[in-house]
Order: sequence, then structure tokens, then C-alpha cells
Amino acid sequence: MLKTIKPKTARSARALRKREPKIQENPKTAIFLRGHKTNNIINTALSDLCALKKPDAITFSKKNEILPFEDDTSLEFFSQKNDASLFVIGNHTKKRPQNLIFARMFDGQVLDMIEVGVVNAKSIADFKTPKCAVGMKPCFLFNGDLFETSEIHKKFKNMLLDLFRGQTVKSINLSGIEHVISVTASPPQKDDGDPSTGIVYFRTYTVQMKKSGQRIPRVELEEMGPSFDFQFRRTKFAKEDVYMAATRVPKELKPKKIKNIDVNEIGDRVGRIHLGKQDLSQLQTRKMKGLKKRAIEEIDAMDIEEINKEDDEEEISPNKRQKV
Amino acid sequence: MDVSTQLETQSSKYKLITVEKPIPLEFDLGLLAAYDTNTLDDQKLKSNNIDEYLKEYTRDGTQLLINEIFKLPLSVEDVGVFAELPDVTTVLPREKPIPKVKPLTRWEKFAKAKGIQKRKKDKLIYDEEKGEWVPRWGYKGANDDGANDWLIPVSNNDDPYEDLFAKRREAKKQRIEKNSSRHQRNLEEAAAQQNKNTNTIANSGIVTTTNQKSLRKAELNKQIAISKFATASIGKFDKPLEGEPKMKGVKRKFEPTIADLKKEKESNLSILKKVVGKGSKNDGDILNVRKASYIF
Repeated sequence: MLKTIKPKTARSARALRKREPKIQENPKTAIFLRGHKTNNIINTALSDLCALKKPDAITFSKKNEILPFEDDTSLEFFSQKNDASLFVIGNHTKKRPQNLIFARMFDGQVLDMIEVGVVNAKSIADFKTPKCAVGMKPCFLFNGDLFETSEIHKKFKNMLLDLFRGQTVKSINLSGIEHVISVTASPPQKDDGDPSTGIVYFRTYTVQMKKSGQRIPRVELEEMGPSFDFQFRRTKFAKEDVYMAATRVPKELKPKKIKNIDVNEIGDRVGRIHLGKQDLSQLQTRKMKGLKKRAIEEIDAMDIEEINKEDDEEEISPNKRQKV
Repeated sequence: MDVSTQLETQSSKYKLITVEKPIPLEFDLGLLAAYDTNTLDDQKLKSNNIDEYLKEYTRDGTQLLINEIFKLPLSVEDVGVFAELPDVTTVLPREKPIPKVKPLTRWEKFAKAKGIQKRKKDKLIYDEEKGEWVPRWGYKGANDDGANDWLIPVSNNDDPYEDLFAKRREAKKQRIEKNSSRHQRNLEEAAAQQNKNTNTIANSGIVTTTNQKSLRKAELNKQIAISKFATASIGKFDKPLEGEPKMKGVKRKFEPTIADLKKEKESNLSILKKVVGKGSKNDGDILNVRKASYIF
């Protein structure tokens, strides 16, 4: 592991502060690297995927003796060194020909990994068509019910969304929608119904918006590349508690609860108003002389008079009368 | 003239923007993503022109997605038309954990309690003596306390033989020292607080706010105790520190020779129970028959 660095200059301190955990995170950086042995297909696949991920991508030009499913310490090292949390690793062995490993990190540790074999591949250069500009936000399309039902497909969908989503934005320029990544899951090939045996088709198209005579344009697509047919191999998913920690939303980003305003079933906004306790002593009832309000002193004075009167009556005793 | 035929011819010039799907798509417009759960055509997926089929299928999905994006609130700016995206609904994991809340320093706590708010001060202030703008602090700053004065008048109260320049320098040094010691104290308290929090979370899941001073004290005492074992005599012949806490070890306790009979009986019975009683290793049987027969 690297030592914790104490910054010596203001510049390095700024650079380190940039790497600290944030409430609103920056786009994840991906590292594209080659394993100990690769072939041409894997090399071009890596560079094509990198072209899609740019500008948040780092390519490692040299080979690395790295087997993430056996030992993930070097991934942790690369992640910390480059402040990157996504990995695409390509290798080609006899046991697993044309292998791509998608890996994600959380807090410097490997969160999950999915290994796929590239059955068919066509690079960007194979398509003589217009390409999208660098750093554009892609549209995503996931076809097939397996992306809702099968666990491995769900994770793969999540991984691809995480990899290519780019920056989180509040608004998007409509003319900036240039390409669409379409991922299609075919049903399982074997009869036993294991969903992971099905092939996943990864296609990339440029979007052309044609006139439709209406406000919304007619969409036409042209294949841009790369295009891959993936076959699932090994996987390593995060433990439940780690995944929970990774998907926690900070309090500051949670939508604020709006009190006393609801939307009912019909869709009307219904507000509730709290008025506080009503002061009934101020209520004006029927006006009568007997019920007329008097000042407290007045009442006291009256009471005292009444009491005195009573006392006088009692005091008129027989012997006093005699005196009189 | 019939308007409807005109409209029809107008619209027939263009291709349709509507797409029919048995199950409507799910959208996550914050990610510009659409999830199509309709069943795919297995025949076409296995045929040779699968790319053609996928393109056609994706076009339909993209059309629906674009339709949905154009329905969002739009705003026209000089660069183009912008669509306001909603929040992302798909749960994607974070890259790093949620940042921890930094413990407040003593001043920050005080300021919070008093309602004192930070306000921006100008970096430069006007020095009337010099007649120019000087930095508030730092190099050639205004708060130099007359460090560059060439003369200090000696007032009646001052000792005339004292070096007033040295006195000023000393005073400044001490102020700096005091400040740095307080800074250190803040750091230590913050570390102790965080340490305590993690410990209590690990142990019981409940965070209790405790007196910071006592926390720090306990932490220091612990460290002193650890450091004592570093000497050859395990601290026996060390010079005691000022106000050093007495080390607490296990104290031997002897019962009086003649004491309450009942208590003595109880304690003896409990020992007996531990050795041969239920729940002990032998579980009631003094003689392990199996083992005994095996030996003899």
C-alpha cells in the first residue's frame, strides 16, 4: 500500500483535496489495461472502448501481469495511484480466449467484476461512417427482459451505465445527443435455461434526427462501432453490506421532504393547513347584560361587598339587639 | 378544397415518429437510458442478418427515448435547445464513501453557540501613517505590532533598563506558541472524537457524546501506560512524570481466615460445581467410564 501523503506544497494539497470523497462525485475515471497476453481483437476492443469513455479514461500502454479474479491488489494500487475506480482489462489465454474484465472499485477496494468473452468484434475503424464527438453523453438502450430478471445481466447493465454515463448534468443540448449504446440480451442458448449462457450484443450507433413534419424529429441510426458479441464468464459481486454502503445517498443530495403538500390519486395537489388551537374565550356569543364582561377589579369589589353584607347579617345576634 | 387530404399528403412525405410496443419502455432520463423488456424475436436473433434486426430494433427504442426527451421542459439558449433532465433513478454505486463530518474546533463551536458568522474581509487595508494600502497580515502586513519601529518610548511604568524590543519579540513568540498549542489541542480532540465514534459504532452501534477533555485524558493515560513497557525494567525505575496516573493492575485479594461460614461453603461449592458439576468439562461424571476402561 502507498503511504498516506502529507502535502508539502499548496499545489499538491489542492491535488489531494480533489481526490477526497465528495458529496457530489466527479465522473469516474476508467483505466484500460492489457493483461500478460493479448491478441489484436482485444487490443482494438480496449482502444475502442477507451474512445467511447474518453475524456475520463486512462490507457496503459504496457502489458501487466494481472489476474484480477485471483489477486486484486494491483487493481487497488492502480486505482489509488490514478484516482480511478473503473477498470477494463483485456487478456487472451488458451483457457479463456479473448477475455474482457469489467471491474469497479469502491473506497479503494474491488466492488464487483464481470468477465466476458468476446465472441465477435468489429472495431470503430471497420465502419466507414461518421463518428460521434469525444466526450458526448451517450443514450443507452437495454433490450430484452433478461436485464430485469437475470442477476448477472442486471449487474452488467449497471456496470455499463456506470462506465459510459459520463458527467451528471442538469440539462442537455438536444443537438448534443449524438450516439446510442444499445445492449441486447439474447435468450439462453442452452436448454437448461441458465440466463448467463445467452449472448449479449453490444452495438453503438450514431443518431441522426430527420424532419418529421412535427416538433419531435424522426430518428435514424447508423452503426458507428465498436460492436461486440459478449459471452459471460466468471463474476465476482459485492457483498450485500458493501454494496449498501456504496449506494448510500448523502443526506444533502436526498430530495427534501415537502411537508403538508400531497398529490392525491387524481393528481391534484392537496395542501394541509395547520391553524393552531382556536381561542374560544374570544368567541362572541349572544349579547346579554348578564353575560357582559367586567373588569376583574370590578368583580372583586362586588364580591367583597357581598361578603360584607353576609357578615353583617350574621353579626346581628340577640345580645347585640338588646344593646340596641 | 379539402384540408384533410392536404394534411395527409404533407404528413406522408415524412416517416412516422410513433412506435408500437406491447410493453411500454421504462426510462431513466437522467441517464438518457431506456429499458425495453419486450420479448425479442428469437428467429431473427439466430439468423444471419442479426445486425439489421438489432439496428431496426434499436431505432424503434431510440425513437421512443428521443420522444420522451423532447417532452421534457425545453429552454432555448444561444448555443441550442436544452432539455432539463430529471434526477437519475437507477441506483449506481459511488466511487468513494460519503465524506465524514469534520468535528468542530473549539472556536467554531463557540461561534456557533453565539451565532457569530464568518464574513469576508478585504485582504488589503489602508495604512494612514504610511498613506498606502498594505496587506492585513503577512509580509509587510499591518499587524506587525510595530516590529520595524526604530524607537519605542519608555513610559513611566516601564522598567527603563528593560529591552522593550526583546519584550515585544518575546510576546509575539508566545502568542504564536499559544495558538499552535491550541491548534494541536483541536487536532487531538478531533482525533479522539473520531476514534471514540468508530469504537462505539463498532461496539454498540450507538454514538454517545462524551466530554472531550476526559476522552483525551483517557487516551493519553493509555499511551503513557503503553510507553512504560518500553524500558527494560517495565517502568519500575522510571522517573515518575508530574501528575502521572497510578497504574492499575490486578490486585490480589485475600479473604480473612475466619469469616462467615455460609459464604465459605458457598464459594467452595461453586468451585466444586465448576470442576465436576453440570456444564463442566466432565459434565457430572467424575469418572469417565469410557476413558477409564480404555486405559486399564
